[in-house]
Amino acid sequence: MLLFRDEEHVDRWRAARDLPRGGLLTPDQTERLARGWYGRKLAPDWRRHTLEETEALLAQVGLTGPFWNLREG
Amino acid sequence: MSADPLRFADDVRMYVFGTSAETGRVPQPPEIAAALGRATEEVREALKTLAAGKVLILAPNDGNIWAANPFCAVPSGFRVTAGGKSYWGICIWDSLGIAAALGRDAVIDAPCGDCGEPMRLEVRGSKLVRGEGVVHFAVPAHRWWDNIGFT
Repeated sequence: MLLFRDEEHVDRWRAARDLPRGGLLTPDQTERLARGWYGRKLAPDWRRHTLEETEALLAQVGLTGPFWNLREG
Repeated sequence: MSADPLRFADDVRMYVFGTSAETGRVPQPPEIAAALGRATEEVREALKTLAAGKVLILAPNDGNIWAANPFCAVPSGFRVTAGGKSYWGICIWDSLGIAAALGRDAVIDAPCGDCGEPMRLEVRGSKLVRGEGVVHFAVPAHRWWDNIGFT
């Protein structure tokens, strides 16, 4: 996941690689996603999130729709 | 130190992540083996177990740790400064993840993915207090682990 100055820079980067538009997040959404994902990574009893927990985290951060669907494919 | 392979893998996990957090440097198999008093090959097997469980990511060719994510073992464009130490993240998500895992205030310096212009984010009190730009995920969520390096 890369940080860009703005959407115009995202589109220029995509066009150079012939990539479709992916998912766009604000830095604040990304911080909340990172905190939910990695906040306990150093804990002795850390374990991976279940599929359901990951879905709940994405939804909490406002990431919904087909691009963020973990079960699709 | 456990003789049970899964419990030993857990010992390796705690050493790798603890050292990464404390020093900003991700330890590699010889150092881990010396610290835990085990053979380097045993450590490499434990790392394969951890990688299979998506706890960390191994470099494709030499079996060394590429990332004890969110901590990247090799310099990247994403630099995190926290608690007077420097860390590398693979991407902007992991860079913010370093601040979250450490539970510390942090400054993240990263280039614009298109033009390379320096950008800065800042986390204080578990909140983003300085942000700029937008974050782009190129890979749909259900394919994140197909090629985690690109993701």
